[in-house]
Amino acid sequence: MLLKIKPTAIRLNLLLIALLAGASAISQEIGDFQPEAAWDGNPDINGIWQAIGTAHWDLQDHEASAGLPEMGAIGSVPPGQGVVVGGEIPYQDWALEKKQENWAGRPIADPETKCYLPGVPRATYLPYPFQILQGTDKIMIVYGFAEANRTIHMNVENPEAPPLDTWMGRSYGNWEGNTLVVEAQGFLGEAWFDRAGNFASSALRVTERYTPISPDALLYEATIEDPTVFTRPWQIRMPLYRRLEPNARVVEYKCVEFSEEILYGHLMKKEE
Amino acid sequence: MKCRTIFKETIFTIGKMSSYFITALLCMFSAAVFAAKPHHITIALSNISEAISWYEEHLDCQAIPGRDDTVNCGNTEIEFFLGRTVGGSQGTGVDRIGFSVADLDAKMAELESVGVRGSGVRLVRFDDGALVREIPGLYKTAFITDPWGTKIELVQDEDLLGFHHIQLNSVDPSEALNFYSQVFGGERARLKGVLDGVTFDGIWVLASEYTDGRPGITQGRTIDHIGFEVASFDEVSMEMSRLGVEFRQEPAVPDNARSSSRQAFILGPDGVTISIVEPGWEGIEEELAAAEAQSTELYVIPRTPWGEPDIQGIWTADAAHGIPLQRGIDVAGTDELTPEEAAARRERGTLNSIWGYDREWRDTTLGYVTSAPSTQVAMVIDPPNGQLPETTAAYKELVANAPPRIPPQRARTPEDLGTYVRCITRGPVGMMMPSIYNNGLQILQSPGNVAIQKEMIHETRVISTEPREGFGDGLKTWLGDSHGRWEGDTLVVEVRNLNGRTSYLGSSPEMKLTQRFTRTGPNTLRYEFTVEDPAVWTEPWTGMFNFIKDDNQIELVEYACHEGNYGMTNTLSAARTIDAREAEESEYQE
Repeated sequence: MLLKIKPTAIRLNLLLIALLAGASAISQEIGDFQPEAAWDGNPDINGIWQAIGTAHWDLQDHEASAGLPEMGAIGSVPPGQGVVVGGEIPYQDWALEKKQENWAGRPIADPETKCYLPGVPRATYLPYPFQILQGTDKIMIVYGFAEANRTIHMNVENPEAPPLDTWMGRSYGNWEGNTLVVEAQGFLGEAWFDRAGNFASSALRVTERYTPISPDALLYEATIEDPTVFTRPWQIRMPLYRRLEPNARVVEYKCVEFSEEILYGHLMKKEE
Repeated sequence: MKCRTIFKETIFTIGKMSSYFITALLCMFSAAVFAAKPHHITIALSNISEAISWYEEHLDCQAIPGRDDTVNCGNTEIEFFLGRTVGGSQGTGVDRIGFSVADLDAKMAELESVGVRGSGVRLVRFDDGALVREIPGLYKTAFITDPWGTKIELVQDEDLLGFHHIQLNSVDPSEALNFYSQVFGGERARLKGVLDGVTFDGIWVLASEYTDGRPGITQGRTIDHIGFEVASFDEVSMEMSRLGVEFRQEPAVPDNARSSSRQAFILGPDGVTISIVEPGWEGIEEELAAAEAQSTELYVIPRTPWGEPDIQGIWTADAAHGIPLQRGIDVAGTDELTPEEAAARRERGTLNSIWGYDREWRDTTLGYVTSAPSTQVAMVIDPPNGQLPETTAAYKELVANAPPRIPPQRARTPEDLGTYVRCITRGPVGMMMPSIYNNGLQILQSPGNVAIQKEMIHETRVISTEPREGFGDGLKTWLGDSHGRWEGDTLVVEVRNLNGRTSYLGSSPEMKLTQRFTRTGPNTLRYEFTVEDPAVWTEPWTGMFNFIKDDNQIELVEYACHEGNYGMTNTLSAARTIDAREAEESEYQE
């Protein structure tokens, strides 16, 4: 039985509540919204989107904590509710230790600190907008941070295995009803999932689902599989919001120069 | 394979075992013996005259008078044609060709020393690092790749010097060898009693089992096809049709053939294109006029499903690498280089650019770009003399008073090394320019937007083609704010809000850049860039070059430049080592 509630805002609120409660009514709920069609009849998800929340700090529930002392409250970590379905990331024992090592080594050990390409799914919920462009046989997602970019090859039968491992991986997609389903793999295994040190290996495989739930929101679900790191597949879920400013743009964010002191400071000759 | 036995068996099992049936037919066919032999190997590459010299110098082939595209290598000819290839021969139905030399160690030493000078030959080392391996009971063997991507096996077989064998890749080697034996009358035998093959008057056709799916088709790769000569073509064609081997191209005297010999094409096993020629075959004269006529045909630009000119795809500036920005004195009276001159120019440019890299990488790189180089004389098309306009007096003064450039070994910080070395950007003008590698460009369109992604460093601009509010004055970036519009079929992009932190040939932070992208053919994207900078140049100037469609790739290979920037660590660390050594020396002197 589908819920029939008209105003989008109310439904979105309900959805969020459902999400946070881990309720199973979500798939029924999103089936109700009919998005505008693109030229090919599939949902039109062209536009500039952004995740809102604190998933980029930590995918799991987290309390407020101190950051770099010289940054005061600006540098502190805001508290936030987790986006992991069920709350737990099912690490294998060794991997949990590694995650804790990552946590202890942050922020220096975090690839984001070094302005490295963020990987998938992290690129999606970095606190910056990204743009989806639906081409004729590919979809491109352009992110601002580190000029990250993905090409999603649509409707490819028997896709070839990724020829080499990369930071952003190789993505193949197709539409299942109103949902864009993307299979991404071929990752280097050096990217993190968040600033808390959650991570995967090069065996990572991410299945992403982008589903319009209102004219201005997509539900983003990513199933994360990596048999070398986790004991079972697990999932994150969050909405992505359309940036409604008429002049909204993905602004180029070349962060290399801000990483150089950390990476090369010990090799620099400073003016006395 | 014993034909007679199989034929007998087939009589009883006919209909059950179709492959045996075919073999039997082939055996019957071989009864009608006719003289056939391997006649030529046809290789596609970017520079015919260089290839002729290379095969003459290193593989003892002879130029043939009156035929400027063919060498005679003893038992067979190698025909070259100028063309874009989609890769080397390795992994196709014809993996490689083999030559036999009297002293393999000496030959490899010779090639290694030439490689050092950068002829482009690539030597393949075995797992243990050796260049030559002795195969017990057979001979010494070694592998190289010629400068254009053809894999060559060199062996030391005193019994058969010169052109030695054609090595096939096959999903079923035995079946493939039967094909060549039966269709062209060669003898199934074992080379040195070891290697299963077919021998034709001293040339061997050998086959290795290919287990990684199917071998690539030869057409379009460096070994485009192999050729056999038959004594009587009419007889052969009759036998062919009886065998169910279809002609891909019926026997005919090709346009511009140098002789009256007819040529036909068939498709052999494992995607091997085979040319069959009559005696007296002398190849085909390159028809330049036809190619030119084709290029001036009216081209209708495809549209996206939503009606915009479609410029999407993966493109490459490889062909443009080597075009100087300004017209050189040596080409003052020339409108266009010959393909040979263009190839030589690119090779010179490539060698200059990669001189600092290690030998193996350098050698590979020469063979990596397979598209024919551009024959364009210079990038600057306006001013029409191909020269950049006069610079301003203020700029000249600026240059005269500029502080000396800090060499890399003195670099104090990454900033001393420049934004390119730092993997930040080559700047809005520089980012599009061709270079020795990473020339890929991906364009993707959605209604009202064009994304332009550049492989080098990895940079993407999303250009709106509809009028919109731009960045405010307070926001400037390295690549600026791109405002696009369609003027007819041309995408015009005006770049504003540049942060001015990169310079192209001395351009100032006030530089204005306008880019124009026009698809002029199915595989050609014309790119024009106009630079206006009154602080530096007394008038605007425009450059142009073409991107060529690159359908070999489905996406650009991620160039994680900064992530792998070991060069930065190494350069700074070397500079600090020099500092420390000098400090020690000066202390000692005191």
